[in-house]
Amino acid sequence: MLRFFISFFSSLFQMMIHILTTKKHIIQNVLSIYIKTTGGNISIDIDPKCDVSHIKKMVAPQIGLQPEELKVIFAGKELGDDIIIEECDLGQQSILHVVKIKPGNVQSKISASSTPNSKTLMPLCESLDDLMFSASSGSRTASISIGNETSTSDSLLDEIEVVANNEKSKPKKVHFYVYCPTCKKLTQGKLRVRCHFCKSGAFTVHSDPQNWSHVLESKQITGTCENDSEFCENILQNKEPTFAEFYFKCSEHISLGENDQAVPLDLIRPNLRQLQCLACFEITETIFSFPCEDDHVTCLDCFEAYCKAKLSDRQFWQHPEYGYTLACPSGCANSFIKEIHHFRLLDDEHYERYHRFATEEFVLQSGGLLCPQPGCGMGILADPECIRITCQNCKYVFCRNCLQGYHIGSCDPPEIQETSGTSGDCGTELNCDNRNGAGDDASRTTIKVITKPCPSCKTPTERDGGCMHMVCTRAGCQFHWCWVCQTEWTRECMGDHWFG
Amino acid sequence: MAVLPRRIIKETQRLMQEPVPGISAVPDDSNARYFHVIVTGPEDSPFEGGLFKLELFLPEDYPMSAPKVRFITKIYHPNIDRLGRICLDILKDKWSPALQIRTVLLSIQALLSAPNPDDPLANDVAELWKVNEIEAIRNAKEWTRRYAMDN
Repeated sequence: MLRFFISFFSSLFQMMIHILTTKKHIIQNVLSIYIKTTGGNISIDIDPKCDVSHIKKMVAPQIGLQPEELKVIFAGKELGDDIIIEECDLGQQSILHVVKIKPGNVQSKISASSTPNSKTLMPLCESLDDLMFSASSGSRTASISIGNETSTSDSLLDEIEVVANNEKSKPKKVHFYVYCPTCKKLTQGKLRVRCHFCKSGAFTVHSDPQNWSHVLESKQITGTCENDSEFCENILQNKEPTFAEFYFKCSEHISLGENDQAVPLDLIRPNLRQLQCLACFEITETIFSFPCEDDHVTCLDCFEAYCKAKLSDRQFWQHPEYGYTLACPSGCANSFIKEIHHFRLLDDEHYERYHRFATEEFVLQSGGLLCPQPGCGMGILADPECIRITCQNCKYVFCRNCLQGYHIGSCDPPEIQETSGTSGDCGTELNCDNRNGAGDDASRTTIKVITKPCPSCKTPTERDGGCMHMVCTRAGCQFHWCWVCQTEWTRECMGDHWFG
Repeated sequence: MAVLPRRIIKETQRLMQEPVPGISAVPDDSNARYFHVIVTGPEDSPFEGGLFKLELFLPEDYPMSAPKVRFITKIYHPNIDRLGRICLDILKDKWSPALQIRTVLLSIQALLSAPNPDDPLANDVAELWKVNEIEAIRNAKEWTRRYAMDN
């Protein structure tokens, strides 16, 4: 009996293994994709080794058309009949667009297929190469004026042979790095295209993007919307052409649909020119390329370390357009990082801190206040006339001018200020984190004894030697003030008590 | 002890192979992050002819934070205090990981050529430097002769 059970379970086990392995086998060989047509979506399973004409043959009968009447569009390109599917960077659940060739457009179809350069019949991810997108910011701006002539890419192709002489003369397929909100990490991205107006993916570009500006800035590359070309062409009474809109998908997880997008991190690039990290001197495969004229780069580890160091010194900068950001470590002009999603490279704890500091800086720069109660720090935008401020979060009532517990009359020097009475109010509130009450009080006393607040932003400041001329260390403030007068630094301070 | 980062190894090698004129920086035998530095007093400065000893330490998070540098030899300079601490922006808020030991020492050498009494650390020295530069320079020369030339 026991033997029977053992053999039964072992055969069951083997069967399960068999099922699992065959299942794996199936996944490797079948690609489940969606075909989007004007009539609706069709789900098909295909062999990645088959070509585009095969797809046309599969789809045509389902929509009542002949295979010759169809165009297959993917990532901004009409795919040539002989393109093999697995060369197209199609992931599971990808969407291919199939449209009927309009009688008037037959001409364009013929001219497209007769183009000698077969690259035009490949999706964009396959036809673009890394070099164009790894150029320095200087040449990137220059190439905007060059436009999208194919001669540009030809000259760039010559260059890559010199640079990457260890590689085959063929340029490397383009690498895009993205922050994927689903995977919650840095991943490789896939470039996709849709119509600027109707957002349909049934869209073909008139020319390939040649650099990051073409991809990131709007209205750079024109194209034809194959979804409803007349509608999209007429939307602005033909005043401007139909433009392509580029976006990115994560290449590491199965697509969750058309809205599953990733943020392009354009400053993270493959290190084609073998540049050295300015901090650790290592040459790594992937680099963070600062947007400065001098091509300063760091490896990704040093970029993270740089962000952490700047964060702990609170030296990020609140840029009016880009947000809370950093510039090139070498202090190059106009080198602020535009896409603040690059700071997603920080671990959760530091990213959370980045986020908090950014919010605080925004509140302060908007004329707001931060609740001074330890553990609270709630941002408060109060009427500028109002001196008695009540925190909505922890209900602490404090004086706008000295950030101490609210008082009647002028602000007292810190030594005379009562600390215990005011902090007690907060403990009864649910929202307020006052678990470390005793430690907080001690810290607060120390801060009061050894620091003076910056007269402009109230940041507690310690003077560790030197003269009386203080410069606020908070990046957004940098107020020059006098340690003795606790007002703005003047020539009188310099003449009278510069050295105390 | 933790492995020495490649950056420190490379910087050290370069300091040995292509030394900066007027500056020597040698790592300590027992601690490769601690450097014995000698800076010669720049020509046409009150420090000319002097050999100034400094110590330089690369903290754990170097190059994300600045090296710690201090004069060991006594020096009469408005930006250097009695304990040898140096008032130099690149050692504080203007530090950048793109700077190196070499650039720091060059900046210190430049500071000796051009004292900056507007951003002082040594109050009394700075005050004299502003009020009576001739006397300040005389003091600096005297201190150089007394403390930086004995060997």
